[in-house]
Amino acid sequence: MSGRGGPLGIRPSALHIAARRERLGPIGAHWYNAVVSRQECDLDAACGSDAFLEQLNALFAGAVRPGDEEKYLQDVLDLAMDAAGGDRAFLALVEQRTGELVVVTTAGLGWTPETTRLRLSLAQESGRGITGHVALTAQPYRTGDVIHDAHYVMYFRDVRSEVAVPICGTSGQSIGVINIESAITDRFTPLHVERLVAVAHAAASALRVRGFRARETALIEIGNNLTTTLDIEALMGKVLGVAAEMLRFEDCTVFLLDEASGRLVLSASRGILADRLGETPYRVGEGITGWVAEAGQPVRLERPQLDPRWRGLCVEFPQDEIGALLAVPIVGRSRILGVMRVVRRRSATALFSNAFSEGEERILTSIGRQVGAAVENVRSYERLVRAERMAAWGELSARAAHMIGNRTFAIKGDLNELTYLLDERPCEEIRAEIKDLAASMNHGVARLEEILREFRDFVVATQLTLGTCSVNDVIQEAIGETFPKRTRIKLRTDLTSGLPSLRCDARKLKRAFAELVENAVSFQPEGGMLAIRSLALSRDELLKYGLSQGREYILVEFRDCGPGVDDGEKERIFLPFHTTRAKGMGLGLSIVKGIVEAHQGFVREIGESGEGARFVVFLPVPEAGASE
Amino acid sequence: MTSILVVDDEEEVCAALKRRLQREGYEVTTAGNAAEAIGAIAARPHGFDVVVTDMSMESPDSGLQVLSHAISRDLFTEVIVLTAYGNVSNAVESMRRGAFDYLEKNVPGVDTYEVLVMKVEQAMERRRAAVRTVRRLEKQAAHR
Repeated sequence: MSGRGGPLGIRPSALHIAARRERLGPIGAHWYNAVVSRQECDLDAACGSDAFLEQLNALFAGAVRPGDEEKYLQDVLDLAMDAAGGDRAFLALVEQRTGELVVVTTAGLGWTPETTRLRLSLAQESGRGITGHVALTAQPYRTGDVIHDAHYVMYFRDVRSEVAVPICGTSGQSIGVINIESAITDRFTPLHVERLVAVAHAAASALRVRGFRARETALIEIGNNLTTTLDIEALMGKVLGVAAEMLRFEDCTVFLLDEASGRLVLSASRGILADRLGETPYRVGEGITGWVAEAGQPVRLERPQLDPRWRGLCVEFPQDEIGALLAVPIVGRSRILGVMRVVRRRSATALFSNAFSEGEERILTSIGRQVGAAVENVRSYERLVRAERMAAWGELSARAAHMIGNRTFAIKGDLNELTYLLDERPCEEIRAEIKDLAASMNHGVARLEEILREFRDFVVATQLTLGTCSVNDVIQEAIGETFPKRTRIKLRTDLTSGLPSLRCDARKLKRAFAELVENAVSFQPEGGMLAIRSLALSRDELLKYGLSQGREYILVEFRDCGPGVDDGEKERIFLPFHTTRAKGMGLGLSIVKGIVEAHQGFVREIGESGEGARFVVFLPVPEAGASE
Repeated sequence: MTSILVVDDEEEVCAALKRRLQREGYEVTTAGNAAEAIGAIAARPHGFDVVVTDMSMESPDSGLQVLSHAISRDLFTEVIVLTAYGNVSNAVESMRRGAFDYLEKNVPGVDTYEVLVMKVEQAMERRRAAVRTVRRLEKQAAHR
């Protein structure tokens, strides 16, 4: 795209002329205009139609390429200047929300910081100027004598001729205006207008393509986001964000249907209704929103207050300020799950409609369907989680009942025997037997307590009370409390000093390490070895274990000479109730996993089957500056 | 002397049952799981008079395996199945397959050991009656 000094080679001359005129001031310029008008016409002739077509082609090609919108509109205006040969030009876009024309890019001389940020209100009849007139009529306008023109409003004193063409949207309404001025009377011809209309078409295409692209991106984003969000509240936040990206509205509100009560629950809103979430303003069938929920059809209205279904029970802003309403059902597989509603304020000018378009209705309908699928997704996930939790609790209770039942049965047997002995035989004779029974009952009670502890630890494994601690201290404490004083197992520790501190629940972490120590001990009843080491993982080791290199990890390893873990069992051993030991409920390693994962770390068994178990625990080092 | 095999994966349970049944004058052997029990049944020339087995050991239906081995060794062996956590479907299945009875280990207010002793006596009576009937039938057959 050529800017000034592009391939046509005319801009330096035009610039030169304009610069000369500027130096002469308004009166001098007027005189100068008369002198140079002949020259400019010659320059115009030099701007051959072939060269213009070539540039226009390039402009249309650029319209569909992704890129910087501001830069593109500047190119548009530069070509417009080339094509019409004015002194000064600007491109303004309609801001629907305020009903104003906003200058977005300028060309030529004489612009000041104030004039480059010009906003023209389309609402007021006076002061709209030729640009405003073109925006409202969506028709090109040309005048050779601004002084006698009814629409003209002066912003620059040297202007004599002006031409403006609309940039039109899909339904023919103006979305912007290209305006060119000249200090020469009767400067612009119908040919200039034709060329400018062509340039404006290119601009319109670019703006539409950009709109479609934004919609496409937003729809993809909504699809991605919605299917991965598993929390209704977060989901609604995203829905509002995406809807705002795609549709221009003053407010958007989501109602979800509560089937039990048949009422619509206010579930999300961007505006003042956000303070009333959880309220149930509409019954199904009540008001326009209730009608949408009942009929499953979208409603698109201008002045919704005039609709017989209107109740005004729950509105985003004062009733008479609402100019347009669009409401669509949120549809699930087989039923309506809620309603999404967007509203706009009344347009600042009667000439300028603020209604929602059919295209916008289609977009919101599509969002409504996606939201429906996402809501169902979240709900079925919640149901699944509940069912799984119930199943886990069911299994946990069954196991616990079984284990506790067996221990209790054994203790009951001891008591039965004790009663018999006391009834049948003199005390002094049965002293030794009573001692045995007491020992057996003690043992039974200890086993019961073990089950209770395992049960409790399993339930609270993921509830952490975080503090700062040294991993080596935790390891030492776990060994001190768990490793038997008299054993034929040789203990070897290799704890690296100076390891970074961890953000952790020291008690829980100790419990996890203790479980791994106990595990190694119980699998080597005839004696053996337990080697424990701690170290900070190097970059290479992070790679080896498939960890992200963005984070530091401390590795704690427990290695023994027991039977080890078969390849097929390496993952299953961490499942609850998986046990090969008679002791406990088989929750031990699942507790370890729960605790380690709650610390955002993980645990694996990486030993060779038959050569002893090798448990590795990876714990993330808190990032520098992380809060205490 | 009446011979009883007690099968339970809880050492303490085995010990308590053994003690209680020995007090009644029975000869008690114990096994810690179904495999061990099946081995003990196979090793004994005429099988056991009564087998008292836990249902859920290595697998949830270990008791059923013990039951089928005991009965195939000696048709008149009476099997009493114990369950710690009431699994009715397994209990019904064990009755269907010829168990004498089943007992829940934990019934509030019930001394299951005493109930078990009673059940073992009843089982022995049934076994004796069955054996008597068979002998009589054998005798009648011999006379013909």
